Amino acid sequence: MTPAVIAQIEPIATPEIEWFAVSPLLVLVGGALVLLTAAALARSRPPRGFYALFTVVTAALAVACSALLWQRVTDPGRGPFTAIGGAITIDGFSVFFAVTITAAIALGALLADDYLRREGLDGPELYVLMLLSGTGGVVMAMANDLIVVFLGLETLSIALYVMAGLHLRRLESQESAIKYFVLGSFSSAFLLYGIALVYGATGSTNFGAIAGFLSGNVLASNGLLLAGFALLLVGLGFKVAAVPFHVWTPDVYQGAPTPVTAFMASASKAAGFAALLRVFVSTFDVYRLDWRPLMWGLAVLSLLVGSFLAVVQSDVKRMLAYSSISHAGFILVGAEAASDRGIAGALFYLLAYTFMVVGSFGVATLVGGRGDADHGLSAYRGLSRRRPLLALAFTVLLLAQAGVPLTSGFLAKFYVIGAAVEADSYALALIAMLSAVVAAFVYLRITVAMYMGDETEGAEAVTRPAVRVPPGAALALGVAVAFTIVVGILPSPVVDFARDAVPVLLSAP
Amino acid sequence: MLALLLALHAVLALAAPALGRRLGPRVFLVCALAPGATAAWAATQAAGVLDGSATTQVLPWVPGLGLDLALRLDGFALLMVALVSGIGAVLFAYSRWYFSPRPGLGRFAGVLTAFAGSMLGVVLADNLLLIYVFWELTSITSYLLIGFEDEKGSARAAALQAILVTGAGGLAMLAGFVIVGQAAGTYSLSGILADPPGGGVVGAGLVLVLVGACTKSAQVPFHFWLPAAMAAPTPVSAYLHSATLVKAGVYLIARFAPAFAAGHAFWRPLVMGLGVATMLLGGWRALRQHDLKLLLAYGTVSQLGFMVVLVGAGIPELTFAGAALIVAHGLFKAALFMVVGIVDHQAHTRDLRVLSGLGRRMPGVAAVAAVAAASMAGVPLLLGFLSKEAAYEGLLHAHLGVGGSLALAGVVVGSVLTFAYGARFVLGGFGAGFGESAGGGDPVGPDVARPAPAFVVPAALFAVLTVVAGVAPALVDPLVGGGAGALDAAAGKAHLALWHGFTPALGLSVLTLAAGALLVAGAGTVERVQARLAGAPSAAGVYSSALVGLNRLADRVTAVLQNGSLPVYLGVILLTVLALPGLALLTRTRLPGGVVVGESPLQVVVAGVVLAAAVGAAFARRRFAAVLFLGGVGYGVAVLFVIQGAPDLALTQLLVETLAVVIFVLVLRHLPERFEPSAWRLGQATRVAVAGGVGVFVAAFSLVAAGARTAEPVSGAYLEQAVPEAGGQNVVNVILVDFRAFDTLGEITVLTVAALGIVSLVQAGRRQQDEA
Repeated sequence: MTPAVIAQIEPIATPEIEWFAVSPLLVLVGGALVLLTAAALARSRPPRGFYALFTVVTAALAVACSALLWQRVTDPGRGPFTAIGGAITIDGFSVFFAVTITAAIALGALLADDYLRREGLDGPELYVLMLLSGTGGVVMAMANDLIVVFLGLETLSIALYVMAGLHLRRLESQESAIKYFVLGSFSSAFLLYGIALVYGATGSTNFGAIAGFLSGNVLASNGLLLAGFALLLVGLGFKVAAVPFHVWTPDVYQGAPTPVTAFMASASKAAGFAALLRVFVSTFDVYRLDWRPLMWGLAVLSLLVGSFLAVVQSDVKRMLAYSSISHAGFILVGAEAASDRGIAGALFYLLAYTFMVVGSFGVATLVGGRGDADHGLSAYRGLSRRRPLLALAFTVLLLAQAGVPLTSGFLAKFYVIGAAVEADSYALALIAMLSAVVAAFVYLRITVAMYMGDETEGAEAVTRPAVRVPPGAALALGVAVAFTIVVGILPSPVVDFARDAVPVLLSAP
Repeated sequence: MLALLLALHAVLALAAPALGRRLGPRVFLVCALAPGATAAWAATQAAGVLDGSATTQVLPWVPGLGLDLALRLDGFALLMVALVSGIGAVLFAYSRWYFSPRPGLGRFAGVLTAFAGSMLGVVLADNLLLIYVFWELTSITSYLLIGFEDEKGSARAAALQAILVTGAGGLAMLAGFVIVGQAAGTYSLSGILADPPGGGVVGAGLVLVLVGACTKSAQVPFHFWLPAAMAAPTPVSAYLHSATLVKAGVYLIARFAPAFAAGHAFWRPLVMGLGVATMLLGGWRALRQHDLKLLLAYGTVSQLGFMVVLVGAGIPELTFAGAALIVAHGLFKAALFMVVGIVDHQAHTRDLRVLSGLGRRMPGVAAVAAVAAASMAGVPLLLGFLSKEAAYEGLLHAHLGVGGSLALAGVVVGSVLTFAYGARFVLGGFGAGFGESAGGGDPVGPDVARPAPAFVVPAALFAVLTVVAGVAPALVDPLVGGGAGALDAAAGKAHLALWHGFTPALGLSVLTLAAGALLVAGAGTVERVQARLAGAPSAAGVYSSALVGLNRLADRVTAVLQNGSLPVYLGVILLTVLALPGLALLTRTRLPGGVVVGESPLQVVVAGVVLAAAVGAAFARRRFAAVLFLGGVGYGVAVLFVIQGAPDLALTQLLVETLAVVIFVLVLRHLPERFEPSAWRLGQATRVAVAGGVGVFVAAFSLVAAGARTAEPVSGAYLEQAVPEAGGQNVVNVILVDFRAFDTLGEITVLTVAALGIVSLVQAGRRQQDEA
């Protein structure tokens, strides 16, 4: 072709990419790729802890980018915006989740550091997968389009499937991976079905466009839309482990390598809720009368099933798994309120919960010992005598999960309960408190085991292998406990952070 | 200043463990600074506060959630502070002599100080949520105090029970607070009481608050934790039962009653009914205890019931009587527990069947016990008599109809029981044995060591105060009147008096004393009746069987729902899908019209083959056969694509299918040849039903989704423009290389990268093999 002809061709309209908007994603993905490439090319083993340190630095960079974004979106002159042709939204909400998920990555990496060496699994894979999975989570939080939600969800999940099976010598790890994979694939498929139906009903997959269509039109028959809601709820409910889509949780949490469980319970749940809140509470706001009962049912079931079944477990990892289900119920209480206060409460809860749960599974990582198998309640008997500080840290985290005052857990519970009452969901608030009572029993059981091992067990306690507390895990636990207490006493900055992070609906430009 | 005092408690609590290592038991004297300073400061404020001007202090905490550190010292708070910090300071001093040096004492002193601070916070807080915060802190710290002797299994079990019951009640209370607070639009206690919200929802919230208060104050049916918590060291029992922990519930009811009792029909029957029931039950149970401490514990339960009747009525005269009783009970119960502590410390037993003749050995202690017990029983010239007289007076004049008469009757009977167990305490502990079991076993008493004077002085102090206040009511009247006045302005006008004249109330008092004396005389009969009734179900039994039942129920549910079987898990999810979206699809949408079933006979044939293969895959016994059938389904679909005129799709489908079969076969090498036959018919039937249902659902979904198209299909434009724009007859090719060339380029790039990755993976594997 001659230059003249070429000059005639209209340039293809590609969407303008705001690199700044996706900088946290770029940092995370870039970090993962650099780590993978460097580890593959390096001739000698890197110094101890290099992978973990690299991951933490990457996470810190991502948080720094998020902080810059936060400045931009909270600047009254500029505010939230969409990027990449309206595919993603950068608002307080996405920044909030970027920070939450990145924090989970950093803490998870710190926990994994010694764990991998202890189990003879050392290598960069887990860190790379964690970064990639976290990227998927942040994509879900930034999504302004159902398809982008799906993209993020799959990135998050596929990495997690592999991570769950990473402990090659533990059969439970392999089993949990295959279970998670099979069930996860089904739920992803249902999510896609849901997207298709919502698209069929509204003619768009873009949140702004969907919301605009729903508020501007009265649908003659809304069956498509309602079926779409329900299917989306199946897919997202699976990710947040809400009952009845929770069945995988105890098995997978128990089987997966414990640092992976910590990451799964925090980052993956946060990402699922990010999508759930943005899709339902924000985008489908007009149809709240239709989806609130569904959310109500999920919340009630999660609260009750999670707390009651946690009581009868004898394995601490399973107890924590069920309790994480009941925490999901609490966050759903905030979502069910369908108000700004409810969302802010859910966000506050998620951030507080992230630190609590990573810390709790962090303790399980250490107590589990070589082979990652020693998770029975008996392993915790008399821990206060063997490792007083570790026992104290776990106590604080458990009390926080129970919602005891002067920890972040109390304010989190109060925040969502207050939102529910404000939205006249009295029954839900009561059920939530009831389940909190039952769940408190679980946390107390573990605490009692740690502090008040039976007299006869004095001899046995000595024969148990000593619990090692390596520096990386100690740092992670310290951060988790410090966050839990400091936010419990001086919560205002985090309350403001959550309040300013309520999602904003923006149409594509 | 209020916040500073709380901070002082916190600082000393944190410092105590370190101090304890250096000072030993003297650390209690250092810690006594906190309650002592509080009591002293409160005394300086007394004049103004009792006149009705409250001292307040507000510090912001979480403004975004309506949480602030609002502290308020009004008349009633002052009365409580006098108990919490006044009695607290004395008990700290007593602990100095009670405990012998032992490791962990500093930590214990710290927790006790933290507990005193938390309790102070409960009575000073003017924000519902702040009350809750301190309330839970008292639960946790009391848990640690009760479980202090954690070598004893019973101490641990009791501590666990106490925190479970009170913690559960506390969470219910939080829900109630949120409901009441949201309805009122403020969480400020004084704000809510000044302008109480109404309505059914608020009623529900109040019930929850009452649940919290009743668990804390050990009201029926939550009374069982308190006697069990007797495992605590005596100074702790004295502190928890006389002045603090258990009074928190009474405190809360007293605050709420004047504002809400009249507006909610359920309030008085519920609160007063529970109070009377608790008073009777506690008194009855106390009559059959042999352990002096347990006897007192049930006595506390009974007295708490009495207080709840009085302060819960929301009637000025009764509120006043309740305030008086709170003070009187604080004094005599503290003295009684300290007496038990002395007896236990010197004689190493608390069993009244064994103790004998202690009164002659330590007459001072016996005198203190007698005075305190007499005050509890309502003997004239003691503070307890004044409060009981005021209570009778108020109940006689409260116009509450039949319920009021019942309450009065209950309170009189309860007081008779109180007299009886009070006498049992004194006679059994210090006399020559008591009841039918007297004389059994080896009596302990005449040869025990005498207690150090400093050990007895604190108890004696309370006994003296009881007498002084009883003889000269004017001394305590301002405190009681000011306290009651802060709850209910009308209640502040009443006065304590030694002599009201020959009133019906006086008659009731005389009746009480006489009947009580009769009961003491017939103690043997009472014990026999008690023994016969002992088989009745108790709340503690219900509690423990509820725990066991909960465990068993959840166990069973777990076995069904969490058996680790992947098909069951998948079934749960699929069933939910069928139930919710499936139902919506079925009932709310219509299948699109004009569905073409088939365009050629060949399609029908191939579809039949696909169906047959699918059924075959489901029924195959051997894994290999099942995989082949699955492949058949896939290849059949590929043929359908060809017939429809989409060779590119068919090609892709063929490739994917072939690859899948190959991978399957590779995996099959590691699996057993046959599927394990399932013996469970019902399970199989369920699986078939679920699978069929999901199949129908997916089919319906496809039809509905395809029928929901509203936009113009993009293929039309492609077909139109293929020849003029791109000059190609094959529209698929044109799309791939022209219209969407960039997509194709991207895909090729991805494939190349993936291929490179695979190559390096394969090489890596080979390298490792070489090395090995």
